[in-house]
Amino acid sequence: MSGVSLKPRAPFEARVDLSGLTPEVTCPLPLRELEHLEVPCGGRSVKLAELFFIEGAPDGVLLIEIGDVRLDGVGAGMTKGELIVDGLVGAFAGRGMSGGMLRIGGDAGDFLGSEMSGGRIELAGNAGSHAGAAGSGSRRGLSGGVLAIGGDAGPRAAERQRGGLITIAGAAGEGLATDMIAGTVSVGGAIGPLMGRGMKRGTVFVDAVPELPAGFVDTGTHELVALRLIARRVPELSARLEGWTHARRIVGDTLIGGQGEVLARG
Amino acid sequence: MILNGVEIRDTFAEAFPMVGTRLIVTADTPEWALIAGRTTTGFATSVIGCGCEAGIERTLLPEETPDGRPGVSLLIFAMDFGSLKKVVPLRLGQCVLTCPTTACYAGIEGGKRVPLAKTIRYFGDGHQISKKIGDKRFWRVPVMEGEFVCDEDTGSVEGVGGGNFLILARSRGEALKAAEAAVAAMVQVPGIILPFPGGVVRSGSKVGSKYKGLFASSNDAYCPTLRGTVPSQLPAEVGSVLEIVIDGVSFEAVAEATRVGITAVCALGAEAGVVAIDAGNYGGNLGPFHFKLREIMQGAGETA
Repeated sequence: MSGVSLKPRAPFEARVDLSGLTPEVTCPLPLRELEHLEVPCGGRSVKLAELFFIEGAPDGVLLIEIGDVRLDGVGAGMTKGELIVDGLVGAFAGRGMSGGMLRIGGDAGDFLGSEMSGGRIELAGNAGSHAGAAGSGSRRGLSGGVLAIGGDAGPRAAERQRGGLITIAGAAGEGLATDMIAGTVSVGGAIGPLMGRGMKRGTVFVDAVPELPAGFVDTGTHELVALRLIARRVPELSARLEGWTHARRIVGDTLIGGQGEVLARG
Repeated sequence: MILNGVEIRDTFAEAFPMVGTRLIVTADTPEWALIAGRTTTGFATSVIGCGCEAGIERTLLPEETPDGRPGVSLLIFAMDFGSLKKVVPLRLGQCVLTCPTTACYAGIEGGKRVPLAKTIRYFGDGHQISKKIGDKRFWRVPVMEGEFVCDEDTGSVEGVGGGNFLILARSRGEALKAAEAAVAAMVQVPGIILPFPGGVVRSGSKVGSKYKGLFASSNDAYCPTLRGTVPSQLPAEVGSVLEIVIDGVSFEAVAEATRVGITAVCALGAEAGVVAIDAGNYGGNLGPFHFKLREIMQGAGETA
Protein backbone atom coordinates (compact mmCIF):
# COMPACT_ATOMS: atom_id res chain seq x y z
CA MET A 1 0.00 0.00 0.00
CA SER A 2 1.44 3.38 -0.95
CA GLY A 3 1.13 6.36 1.34
CA VAL A 4 2.38 7.66 4.62
CA SER A 5 2.30 5.64 7.82
CA LEU A 6 2.48 7.02 11.36
CA LYS A 7 3.59 4.65 14.12
CA PRO A 8 3.57 5.94 17.70
CA ARG A 9 7.03 6.08 19.23
CA ALA A 10 5.59 5.37 22.71
CA PRO A 11 2.25 5.43 24.49
CA PHE A 12 0.95 8.99 24.53
CA GLU A 13 1.27 10.78 27.84
CA ALA A 14 -1.48 13.25 26.98
CA ARG A 15 -4.29 13.56 24.51
CA VAL A 16 -3.16 14.31 20.98
CA ASP A 17 -5.40 16.29 18.66
CA LEU A 18 -4.94 15.14 15.08
CA SER A 19 -7.74 17.32 13.68
CA GLY A 20 -6.64 18.58 10.33
CA LEU A 21 -4.00 15.90 9.83
CA THR A 22 -5.86 14.54 6.85
CA PRO A 23 -4.69 12.87 3.63
CA GLU A 24 -5.22 16.03 1.63
CA VAL A 25 -2.82 17.83 4.01
CA THR A 26 -0.21 15.12 4.42
CA CYS A 27 -0.08 13.63 0.94
CA PRO A 28 1.39 16.64 -0.88
CA LEU A 29 4.06 17.15 1.79
CA PRO A 30 7.58 15.72 1.67
CA LEU A 31 8.28 13.52 4.70
CA ARG A 32 10.67 16.10 6.14
CA GLU A 33 7.97 18.76 6.19
CA LEU A 34 5.51 16.28 7.58
CA GLU A 35 7.84 15.51 10.46
CA HIS A 36 7.89 19.20 11.38
CA LEU A 37 4.13 19.60 11.42
CA GLU A 38 2.97 20.53 14.89
CA VAL A 39 -0.08 19.09 16.58
CA PRO A 40 -1.65 19.96 19.95
CA CYS A 41 -0.67 17.56 22.69
CA GLY A 42 -1.59 18.10 26.32
CA GLY A 43 -1.89 21.86 26.02
CA ARG A 44 1.26 22.43 23.96
CA SER A 45 2.33 21.98 20.36
CA VAL A 46 4.50 19.02 19.52
CA LYS A 47 6.20 18.11 16.27
CA LEU A 48 4.67 15.09 14.66
CA ALA A 49 8.04 13.36 14.51
CA GLU A 50 8.28 13.51 18.30
CA LEU A 51 5.16 11.42 18.56
CA PHE A 52 5.38 9.13 15.54
CA PHE A 53 7.80 7.24 13.37
CA ILE A 54 6.88 8.53 9.92
CA GLU A 55 7.51 6.41 6.85
CA GLY A 56 6.32 5.97 3.30
CA ALA A 57 5.75 8.03 0.23
CA PRO A 58 3.79 11.23 0.27
CA ASP A 59 0.80 10.03 -1.70
CA GLY A 60 -2.05 7.57 -1.41
CA VAL A 61 -3.48 6.76 1.99
CA LEU A 62 -2.58 7.97 5.44
CA LEU A 63 -2.12 5.05 7.81
CA ILE A 64 -1.91 5.19 11.60
CA GLU A 65 -0.44 1.85 12.43
CA ILE A 66 -1.35 1.61 16.08
CA GLY A 67 -4.35 3.48 17.34
CA ASP A 68 -4.70 4.94 20.79
CA VAL A 69 -7.62 6.09 22.84
CA ARG A 70 -5.80 9.39 23.34
CA LEU A 71 -5.75 10.16 19.62
CA ASP A 72 -8.53 12.66 19.14
CA GLY A 73 -9.87 14.21 15.96
CA VAL A 74 -8.54 11.49 13.68
CA GLY A 75 -9.77 12.28 10.19
CA ALA A 76 -11.69 15.33 11.38
CA GLY A 77 -12.34 17.68 8.50
CA MET A 78 -11.40 15.17 5.80
CA THR A 79 -12.58 16.13 2.34
CA LYS A 80 -10.98 13.39 0.25
CA GLY A 81 -8.51 10.54 0.30
CA GLU A 82 -8.29 7.62 2.69
CA LEU A 83 -7.20 7.40 6.30
CA ILE A 84 -6.80 4.05 7.98
CA VAL A 85 -6.31 3.46 11.68
CA ASP A 86 -5.11 0.04 12.70
CA GLY A 87 -6.65 0.14 16.15
CA LEU A 88 -8.77 2.39 18.31
CA VAL A 89 -9.18 6.14 18.36
CA GLY A 90 -10.30 8.76 20.83
CA ALA A 91 -12.99 11.38 20.51
CA PHE A 92 -14.13 13.39 17.49
CA ALA A 93 -12.87 10.99 14.83
CA GLY A 94 -14.20 12.05 11.45
CA ARG A 95 -15.85 15.11 12.90
CA GLY A 96 -17.04 17.47 10.19
CA MET A 97 -15.90 15.17 7.38
CA SER A 98 -17.20 16.13 3.98
CA GLY A 99 -15.56 13.49 1.83
CA GLY A 100 -13.10 10.63 1.69
CA MET A 101 -12.91 7.39 3.61
CA LEU A 102 -11.98 6.85 7.25
CA ARG A 103 -11.49 3.25 8.35
CA ILE A 104 -10.97 2.48 12.02
CA GLY A 105 -10.02 -1.03 13.00
CA GLY A 106 -10.99 -0.79 16.68
CA ASP A 107 -13.29 1.23 18.89
CA ALA A 108 -13.91 4.96 18.71
CA GLY A 109 -14.56 7.51 21.41
CA ASP A 110 -17.34 10.06 21.65
CA PHE A 111 -18.62 12.18 18.78
CA LEU A 112 -17.50 9.84 16.02
CA GLY A 113 -18.61 11.39 12.72
CA SER A 114 -20.34 14.22 14.48
CA GLU A 115 -21.51 16.89 12.08
CA MET A 116 -20.09 15.05 9.07
CA SER A 117 -21.65 16.06 5.78
CA GLY A 118 -20.13 13.59 3.36
CA GLY A 119 -17.69 10.76 2.87
CA ARG A 120 -17.69 7.48 4.69
CA ILE A 121 -16.58 6.20 8.07
CA GLU A 122 -16.24 2.48 8.69
CA LEU A 123 -15.72 1.57 12.32
CA ALA A 124 -15.02 -2.07 13.13
CA GLY A 125 -15.64 -1.81 16.85
CA ASN A 126 -17.88 0.12 19.21
CA ALA A 127 -18.54 3.85 19.20
CA GLY A 128 -18.78 6.09 22.24
CA SER A 129 -21.56 8.55 22.83
CA HIS A 130 -22.97 10.98 20.26
CA ALA A 131 -21.93 9.09 17.14
CA GLY A 132 -23.17 11.05 14.15
CA ALA A 133 -24.64 13.60 16.50
CA ALA A 134 -24.38 17.34 16.80
CA GLY A 135 -21.41 18.66 18.69
CA SER A 136 -21.87 20.66 21.86
CA GLY A 137 -23.70 23.85 21.00
CA SER A 138 -24.27 22.79 17.42
CA ARG A 139 -27.73 22.61 15.89
CA ARG A 140 -27.26 19.67 13.59
CA GLY A 141 -25.53 16.34 13.53
CA LEU A 142 -24.55 14.19 10.60
CA SER A 143 -26.09 15.65 7.47
CA GLY A 144 -24.61 13.51 4.73
CA GLY A 145 -22.36 10.57 3.99
CA VAL A 146 -22.30 7.17 5.64
CA LEU A 147 -21.29 6.26 9.18
CA ALA A 148 -21.08 2.49 9.50
CA ILE A 149 -20.52 1.16 13.03
CA GLY A 150 -19.60 -2.49 13.22
CA GLY A 151 -20.31 -2.87 16.93
CA ASP A 152 -22.46 -1.00 19.42
CA ALA A 153 -23.10 2.73 19.62
CA GLY A 154 -23.17 4.61 22.90
CA PRO A 155 -25.81 7.04 24.09
CA ARG A 156 -27.27 9.78 21.92
CA ALA A 157 -26.22 8.42 18.55
CA ALA A 158 -27.82 10.33 15.67
CA GLU A 159 -28.88 13.17 17.92
CA ARG A 160 -30.04 16.01 15.65
CA GLN A 161 -29.01 14.02 12.60
CA ARG A 162 -30.12 15.92 9.52
CA GLY A 163 -29.41 13.56 6.62
CA GLY A 164 -27.16 10.76 5.47
CA LEU A 165 -27.04 7.26 6.85
CA ILE A 166 -25.88 5.72 10.12
CA THR A 167 -25.78 1.95 10.40
CA ILE A 168 -25.19 0.33 13.77
CA ALA A 169 -24.67 -3.40 13.52
CA GLY A 170 -24.99 -3.91 17.26
CA ALA A 171 -26.97 -2.17 19.95
CA ALA A 172 -27.67 1.51 20.38
CA GLY A 173 -27.53 3.29 23.71
CA GLU A 174 -30.14 5.53 25.25
CA GLY A 175 -31.48 8.58 23.50
CA LEU A 176 -30.92 7.29 19.97
CA ALA A 177 -32.15 9.78 17.33
CA THR A 178 -33.10 12.41 19.89
CA ASP A 179 -34.26 15.55 18.09
CA MET A 180 -33.50 13.85 14.76
CA ILE A 181 -34.24 16.19 11.84
CA ALA A 182 -33.86 13.89 8.81
CA GLY A 183 -31.81 11.02 7.45
CA THR A 184 -31.74 7.31 8.06
CA VAL A 185 -30.51 5.10 10.90
CA SER A 186 -30.39 1.33 10.97
CA VAL A 187 -29.85 -0.57 14.22
CA GLY A 188 -29.23 -4.28 14.25
CA GLY A 189 -29.32 -4.87 17.98
CA ALA A 190 -31.15 -3.71 21.08
CA ILE A 191 -32.22 -0.09 21.51
CA GLY A 192 -31.72 1.83 24.72
CA PRO A 193 -34.44 3.83 26.45
CA LEU A 194 -35.71 7.27 25.49
CA MET A 195 -35.24 6.80 21.79
CA GLY A 196 -36.56 9.42 19.38
CA ARG A 197 -37.66 12.11 21.80
CA GLY A 198 -38.18 15.31 19.80
CA MET A 199 -37.75 13.48 16.48
CA LYS A 200 -38.97 15.68 13.61
CA ARG A 201 -38.39 13.56 10.53
CA GLY A 202 -36.13 10.76 9.41
CA THR A 203 -36.30 6.98 9.49
CA VAL A 204 -34.94 4.47 11.99
CA PHE A 205 -34.92 0.80 10.98
CA VAL A 206 -35.09 -1.63 13.88
CA ASP A 207 -35.63 -5.35 14.26
CA ALA A 208 -38.15 -5.08 17.06
CA VAL A 209 -40.18 -2.11 18.21
CA PRO A 210 -38.31 -0.50 21.11
CA GLU A 211 -39.75 1.37 24.04
CA LEU A 212 -40.64 4.79 22.69
CA PRO A 213 -41.72 8.09 24.26
CA ALA A 214 -45.39 8.89 24.58
CA GLY A 215 -45.36 11.02 21.44
CA PHE A 216 -44.94 8.02 19.15
CA VAL A 217 -48.03 6.51 17.48
CA ASP A 218 -48.23 3.01 16.08
CA THR A 219 -49.90 3.26 12.65
CA GLY A 220 -49.86 -0.49 12.11
CA THR A 221 -48.15 -2.71 9.58
CA HIS A 222 -48.06 -1.58 5.96
CA GLU A 223 -46.75 -2.67 2.60
CA LEU A 224 -44.31 0.09 1.64
CA VAL A 225 -42.86 0.50 -1.86
CA ALA A 226 -40.23 2.75 -0.31
CA LEU A 227 -38.69 -0.31 1.37
CA ARG A 228 -38.03 -1.87 -2.01
CA LEU A 229 -36.58 1.36 -3.33
CA ILE A 230 -34.24 1.84 -0.37
CA ALA A 231 -33.15 -1.81 -0.47
CA ARG A 232 -32.13 -1.43 -4.10
CA ARG A 233 -30.66 2.05 -3.93
CA VAL A 234 -28.77 1.97 -0.63
CA PRO A 235 -26.12 -0.78 -0.70
CA GLU A 236 -25.53 -0.49 3.05
CA LEU A 237 -29.14 -1.45 3.69
CA SER A 238 -29.77 -3.95 0.92
CA ALA A 239 -28.93 -6.99 3.05
CA ARG A 240 -30.79 -5.58 6.02
CA LEU A 241 -33.97 -4.91 4.05
CA GLU A 242 -33.84 -7.94 1.81
CA GLY A 243 -37.27 -9.45 1.70
CA TRP A 244 -38.88 -6.58 3.59
CA THR A 245 -42.13 -5.71 1.89
CA HIS A 246 -44.08 -4.79 5.02
CA ALA A 247 -43.10 -2.73 8.01
CA ARG A 248 -44.68 -1.74 11.25
CA ARG A 249 -44.63 2.05 11.17
CA ILE A 250 -44.46 4.07 14.37
CA VAL A 251 -44.59 7.82 13.82
CA GLY A 252 -43.31 10.54 16.11
CA ASP A 253 -42.52 12.58 18.00
CA THR A 254 -46.10 13.83 17.59
CA LEU A 255 -45.79 15.89 20.77
CA ILE A 256 -43.77 18.37 18.73
CA GLY A 257 -45.59 17.71 15.44
CA GLY A 258 -42.82 15.38 14.30
CA GLN A 259 -43.19 13.01 11.39
CA GLY A 260 -40.21 10.79 12.02
CA GLU A 261 -40.74 7.08 11.68
CA VAL A 262 -39.50 3.92 13.31
CA LEU A 263 -39.85 0.99 10.92
CA ALA A 264 -39.74 -2.55 12.24
CA ARG A 265 -40.03 -5.57 10.00
CA GLY A 266 -43.70 -6.37 9.60
CA MET B 1 -35.01 2.71 -55.25
CA ILE B 2 -37.07 -0.48 -55.21
CA LEU B 3 -37.10 -2.89 -52.27
CA ASN B 4 -38.96 -6.16 -52.72
CA GLY B 5 -41.10 -4.52 -55.35
CA VAL B 6 -41.83 -1.47 -53.17
CA GLU B 7 -40.80 1.95 -54.46
CA ILE B 8 -38.87 4.08 -51.97
CA ARG B 9 -39.61 7.57 -53.19
CA ASP B 10 -36.83 10.10 -53.44
CA THR B 11 -38.08 12.37 -50.68
CA PHE B 12 -37.64 13.06 -47.00
CA ALA B 13 -39.55 13.40 -43.76
CA GLU B 14 -39.30 16.83 -42.21
CA ALA B 15 -39.20 16.90 -38.42
CA PHE B 16 -39.04 19.47 -35.67
CA PRO B 17 -37.22 20.04 -32.39
CA MET B 18 -39.17 18.98 -29.33
CA VAL B 19 -38.33 18.79 -25.66
CA GLY B 20 -38.95 15.45 -24.04
CA THR B 21 -38.68 13.50 -20.85
CA ARG B 22 -38.89 9.91 -19.76
CA LEU B 23 -40.85 8.58 -16.79
CA ILE B 24 -40.45 5.13 -15.28
CA VAL B 25 -43.77 4.01 -13.83
CA THR B 26 -43.87 0.84 -11.76
CA ALA B 27 -46.72 -1.11 -10.22
CA ASP B 28 -47.41 -4.35 -8.39
CA THR B 29 -48.21 -6.14 -11.64
CA PRO B 30 -47.30 -5.63 -15.31
CA GLU B 31 -50.99 -5.11 -16.03
CA TRP B 32 -51.33 -2.18 -13.65
CA ALA B 33 -48.10 -0.66 -14.89
CA LEU B 34 -49.48 -0.85 -18.40
CA ILE B 35 -52.79 0.67 -17.33
CA ALA B 36 -50.92 3.57 -15.76
CA GLY B 37 -48.79 3.95 -18.86
CA ARG B 38 -51.71 3.94 -21.24
CA THR B 39 -53.68 6.37 -19.12
CA THR B 40 -50.76 8.76 -18.76
CA THR B 41 -50.01 8.76 -22.47
CA GLY B 42 -53.65 8.90 -23.55
CA PHE B 43 -54.94 11.84 -25.59
CA ALA B 44 -51.39 12.77 -26.51
CA THR B 45 -51.22 12.14 -30.24
CA SER B 46 -50.31 15.61 -31.40
CA VAL B 47 -49.17 18.82 -29.74
CA ILE B 48 -51.61 20.66 -31.97
CA GLY B 49 -54.61 19.47 -30.03
CA CYS B 50 -53.24 17.68 -26.98
CA GLY B 51 -50.46 19.93 -25.72
CA CYS B 52 -47.97 17.09 -25.85
CA GLU B 53 -47.14 13.87 -27.61
CA ALA B 54 -46.62 10.81 -25.46
CA GLY B 55 -46.36 7.08 -25.63
CA ILE B 56 -45.09 3.94 -23.97
CA GLU B 57 -41.49 3.45 -25.01
CA ARG B 58 -41.36 -0.10 -23.70
CA THR B 59 -42.31 -2.35 -20.83
CA LEU B 60 -39.73 -2.98 -18.11
CA LEU B 61 -38.85 -6.13 -16.21
CA PRO B 62 -38.66 -5.90 -12.41
CA GLU B 63 -34.88 -5.99 -12.48
CA GLU B 64 -34.86 -2.92 -14.71
CA THR B 65 -36.82 -0.64 -12.38
CA PRO B 66 -35.77 1.34 -9.29
CA ASP B 67 -38.08 -0.54 -6.91
CA GLY B 68 -37.83 -4.00 -8.43
CA ARG B 69 -41.40 -4.13 -9.66
CA PRO B 70 -42.63 -4.39 -13.24
CA GLY B 71 -42.95 -1.11 -15.04
CA VAL B 72 -43.22 0.91 -18.18
CA SER B 73 -41.02 3.57 -19.68
CA LEU B 74 -42.94 6.57 -20.97
CA LEU B 75 -41.75 9.35 -23.25
CA ILE B 76 -43.52 12.71 -23.24
CA PHE B 77 -42.67 15.47 -25.71
CA ALA B 78 -43.74 19.10 -25.93
CA MET B 79 -42.82 21.99 -28.19
CA ASP B 80 -40.88 23.84 -25.50
CA PHE B 81 -39.63 23.32 -21.97
CA GLY B 82 -42.26 25.57 -20.42
CA SER B 83 -45.02 23.43 -21.90
CA LEU B 84 -43.31 20.23 -20.79
CA LYS B 85 -43.09 21.51 -17.21
CA LYS B 86 -46.84 22.03 -17.27
CA VAL B 87 -48.08 18.85 -18.92
CA VAL B 88 -45.90 16.35 -17.07
CA PRO B 89 -47.07 17.17 -13.52
CA LEU B 90 -50.66 17.29 -14.77
CA ARG B 91 -50.49 13.83 -16.26
CA LEU B 92 -48.54 12.54 -13.28
CA GLY B 93 -51.14 13.85 -10.88
CA GLN B 94 -54.19 12.71 -12.78
CA CYS B 95 -53.00 9.43 -14.24
CA VAL B 96 -50.16 7.96 -12.16
CA LEU B 97 -50.88 9.22 -8.65
CA THR B 98 -54.46 8.00 -9.04
CA CYS B 99 -53.58 4.56 -10.39
CA PRO B 100 -53.43 1.72 -7.84
CA THR B 101 -50.00 0.51 -6.67
CA THR B 102 -47.94 2.78 -8.91
CA ALA B 103 -44.72 4.66 -8.24
CA CYS B 104 -42.98 7.07 -10.58
CA TYR B 105 -39.27 7.67 -11.16
CA ALA B 106 -37.05 9.81 -13.35
CA GLY B 107 -36.09 8.16 -16.60
CA ILE B 108 -33.58 10.80 -17.70
CA GLU B 109 -30.96 12.22 -15.38
CA GLY B 110 -29.47 15.01 -17.50
CA GLY B 111 -30.88 18.23 -18.90
CA LYS B 112 -33.26 20.76 -17.42
CA ARG B 113 -35.33 19.44 -14.54
CA VAL B 114 -39.01 18.67 -14.98
CA PRO B 115 -40.94 18.65 -11.70
CA LEU B 116 -42.58 15.43 -10.57
CA ALA B 117 -43.20 15.12 -6.83
CA LYS B 118 -41.78 18.59 -6.49
CA THR B 119 -45.32 19.75 -7.14
CA ILE B 120 -47.42 16.61 -6.67
CA ARG B 121 -46.19 16.11 -3.09
CA TYR B 122 -48.48 18.85 -1.84
CA PHE B 123 -51.35 16.45 -2.37
CA GLY B 124 -50.09 14.95 0.88
CA ASP B 125 -51.35 18.03 2.70
CA GLY B 126 -48.31 18.23 4.93
CA HIS B 127 -48.11 14.51 5.66
CA GLN B 128 -45.72 13.88 2.76
CA ILE B 129 -42.20 12.86 3.72
CA SER B 130 -39.05 12.67 1.66
CA LYS B 131 -36.00 10.46 1.62
CA LYS B 132 -32.77 11.58 0.03
CA ILE B 133 -30.86 8.70 -1.48
CA GLY B 134 -27.53 9.71 -2.94
CA ASP B 135 -28.17 12.90 -4.84
CA LYS B 136 -31.81 12.13 -5.46
CA ARG B 137 -34.81 12.99 -3.34
CA PHE B 138 -37.82 10.73 -3.33
CA TRP B 139 -41.16 11.66 -1.88
CA ARG B 140 -43.67 9.44 -0.11
CA VAL B 141 -47.16 10.83 -0.38
CA PRO B 142 -49.81 9.14 1.76
CA VAL B 143 -52.84 7.99 -0.24
CA MET B 144 -55.88 5.93 0.73
CA GLU B 145 -54.33 2.78 -0.71
CA GLY B 146 -50.97 3.26 1.05
CA GLU B 147 -48.17 5.45 -0.22
CA PHE B 148 -47.29 6.98 -3.57
CA VAL B 149 -43.52 7.02 -4.05
CA CYS B 150 -42.19 9.49 -6.56
CA ASP B 151 -38.93 11.09 -7.66
CA GLU B 152 -38.74 14.79 -6.96
CA ASP B 153 -38.04 15.56 -10.61
CA THR B 154 -36.76 14.11 -13.84
CA GLY B 155 -34.40 15.28 -16.53
CA SER B 156 -35.17 16.32 -20.07
CA VAL B 157 -33.72 16.02 -23.51
CA GLU B 158 -33.89 17.98 -26.73
CA GLY B 159 -35.49 15.51 -29.07
CA VAL B 160 -37.11 15.25 -32.46
CA GLY B 161 -40.82 15.23 -33.23
CA GLY B 162 -42.68 14.46 -36.39
CA GLY B 163 -40.45 11.93 -38.09
CA ASN B 164 -42.70 10.02 -40.45
CA PHE B 165 -43.23 7.85 -43.47
CA LEU B 166 -46.27 7.00 -45.55
CA ILE B 167 -47.31 3.54 -46.66
CA LEU B 168 -49.02 3.56 -50.04
CA ALA B 169 -50.90 0.31 -50.64
CA ARG B 170 -53.45 -1.12 -53.01
CA SER B 171 -56.19 -1.44 -50.40
CA ARG B 172 -57.08 -0.33 -46.90
CA GLY B 173 -56.58 -3.82 -45.49
CA GLU B 174 -53.17 -4.18 -47.08
CA ALA B 175 -52.09 -0.73 -45.88
CA LEU B 176 -53.16 -1.61 -42.37
CA LYS B 177 -51.31 -4.92 -42.33
CA ALA B 178 -48.16 -3.19 -43.54
CA ALA B 179 -48.53 -0.48 -40.93
CA GLU B 180 -49.03 -3.09 -38.20
CA ALA B 181 -45.86 -4.86 -39.30
CA ALA B 182 -43.96 -1.57 -39.21
CA VAL B 183 -45.22 -0.70 -35.73
CA ALA B 184 -44.42 -4.16 -34.38
CA ALA B 185 -40.84 -3.76 -35.53
CA MET B 186 -40.41 -0.11 -34.59
CA VAL B 187 -41.53 -0.42 -30.98
CA GLN B 188 -38.38 -2.46 -30.37
CA VAL B 189 -36.23 0.59 -31.13
CA PRO B 190 -35.17 2.39 -27.91
CA GLY B 191 -35.74 6.10 -27.49
CA ILE B 192 -38.79 6.54 -29.69
CA ILE B 193 -42.56 6.54 -29.46
CA LEU B 194 -45.29 6.33 -32.06
CA PRO B 195 -47.83 8.68 -30.49
CA PHE B 196 -50.86 8.00 -32.70
CA PRO B 197 -53.48 5.27 -32.15
CA GLY B 198 -51.73 1.94 -32.42
CA GLY B 199 -48.78 3.89 -33.81
CA VAL B 200 -50.66 4.65 -37.03
CA VAL B 201 -52.23 7.80 -38.51
CA ARG B 202 -54.91 7.62 -41.17
CA SER B 203 -55.51 11.37 -41.29
CA GLY B 204 -52.18 12.78 -42.28
CA SER B 205 -52.37 16.52 -42.64
CA LYS B 206 -51.07 19.34 -44.74
CA VAL B 207 -50.33 22.79 -43.38
CA GLY B 208 -53.23 25.26 -43.58
CA SER B 209 -56.83 25.07 -44.70
CA LYS B 210 -59.38 26.90 -46.76
CA TYR B 211 -61.15 27.54 -43.47
CA LYS B 212 -59.93 30.47 -41.41
CA GLY B 213 -58.37 29.45 -38.11
CA LEU B 214 -57.49 25.88 -39.04
CA PHE B 215 -53.74 25.22 -38.86
CA ALA B 216 -53.93 21.89 -40.61
CA SER B 217 -56.27 20.00 -42.85
CA SER B 218 -56.55 16.70 -44.67
CA ASN B 219 -53.55 15.91 -46.82
CA ASP B 220 -55.64 15.83 -50.02
CA ALA B 221 -52.73 14.94 -52.27
CA TYR B 222 -52.66 11.54 -50.56
CA CYS B 223 -56.43 11.00 -50.26
CA PRO B 224 -57.31 8.25 -52.75
CA THR B 225 -60.94 9.33 -53.01
CA LEU B 226 -59.82 12.74 -54.31
CA ARG B 227 -57.51 11.42 -57.01
CA GLY B 228 -58.16 13.36 -60.15
CA THR B 229 -59.93 16.21 -58.38
CA VAL B 230 -56.77 17.59 -56.76
CA PRO B 231 -53.07 17.35 -57.62
CA SER B 232 -52.46 13.82 -56.37
CA GLN B 233 -49.34 11.94 -55.29
CA LEU B 234 -51.06 8.61 -55.72
CA PRO B 235 -50.75 6.36 -58.74
CA ALA B 236 -53.86 4.65 -59.95
CA GLU B 237 -53.22 1.36 -58.14
CA VAL B 238 -53.00 2.99 -54.67
CA GLY B 239 -56.26 2.67 -52.77
CA SER B 240 -55.17 3.58 -49.23
CA VAL B 241 -52.39 5.43 -47.40
CA LEU B 242 -51.37 5.19 -43.74
CA GLU B 243 -48.74 7.22 -41.95
CA ILE B 244 -46.39 6.33 -39.12
CA VAL B 245 -45.30 9.31 -37.02
CA ILE B 246 -42.19 9.03 -34.85
CA ASP B 247 -40.99 11.14 -31.92
CA GLY B 248 -37.61 10.35 -30.45
CA VAL B 249 -34.96 11.42 -28.00
CA SER B 250 -32.47 11.98 -30.84
CA PHE B 251 -32.15 12.24 -34.61
CA GLU B 252 -30.40 8.87 -34.62
CA ALA B 253 -33.22 7.14 -32.77
CA VAL B 254 -35.84 8.46 -35.18
CA ALA B 255 -33.71 7.55 -38.19
CA GLU B 256 -33.23 4.04 -36.87
CA ALA B 257 -36.94 3.64 -36.22
CA THR B 258 -37.65 4.86 -39.75
CA ARG B 259 -35.23 2.32 -41.17
CA VAL B 260 -36.67 -0.50 -39.11
CA GLY B 261 -40.25 0.38 -39.99
CA ILE B 262 -39.67 0.70 -43.73
CA THR B 263 -37.67 -2.52 -43.69
CA ALA B 264 -40.61 -4.33 -42.08
CA VAL B 265 -43.03 -2.95 -44.66
CA CYS B 266 -40.76 -3.85 -47.53
CA ALA B 267 -40.34 -7.35 -46.16
CA LEU B 268 -44.04 -7.81 -46.93
CA GLY B 269 -43.37 -6.36 -50.35
CA ALA B 270 -45.42 -5.73 -53.43
CA GLU B 271 -47.01 -9.15 -53.12
CA ALA B 272 -48.73 -7.96 -49.94
CA GLY B 273 -50.11 -4.95 -51.75
CA VAL B 274 -47.55 -2.35 -50.75
CA VAL B 275 -46.87 0.00 -53.66
CA ALA B 276 -44.55 2.70 -52.31
CA ILE B 277 -43.07 4.43 -49.29
CA ASP B 278 -43.34 8.20 -49.18
CA ALA B 279 -42.83 10.83 -46.48
CA GLY B 280 -44.40 14.08 -45.34
CA ASN B 281 -42.52 17.34 -45.58
CA TYR B 282 -43.07 21.03 -46.08
CA GLY B 283 -40.42 21.61 -48.70
CA GLY B 284 -37.67 21.51 -46.15
CA ASN B 285 -38.19 25.07 -45.01
CA LEU B 286 -39.91 24.53 -41.66
CA GLY B 287 -38.23 21.68 -39.84
CA PRO B 288 -34.45 21.40 -39.35
CA PHE B 289 -34.42 17.59 -39.27
CA HIS B 290 -34.63 15.86 -42.65
CA PHE B 291 -34.89 12.08 -42.83
CA LYS B 292 -34.06 11.19 -46.42
CA LEU B 293 -35.70 7.88 -47.14
CA ARG B 294 -33.23 6.61 -49.70
CA GLU B 295 -30.23 7.53 -47.55
CA ILE B 296 -31.75 5.79 -44.57
CA MET B 297 -32.52 2.68 -46.62
CA GLN B 298 -29.18 2.57 -48.40
CA GLY B 299 -27.71 -0.90 -48.35
CA ALA B 300 -31.06 -2.47 -47.53
CA GLY B 301 -31.16 -4.57 -50.67
CA GLU B 302 -32.07 -4.44 -54.32
CA THR B 303 -32.34 -1.14 -56.17
CA ALA B 304 -33.66 -0.17 -59.53
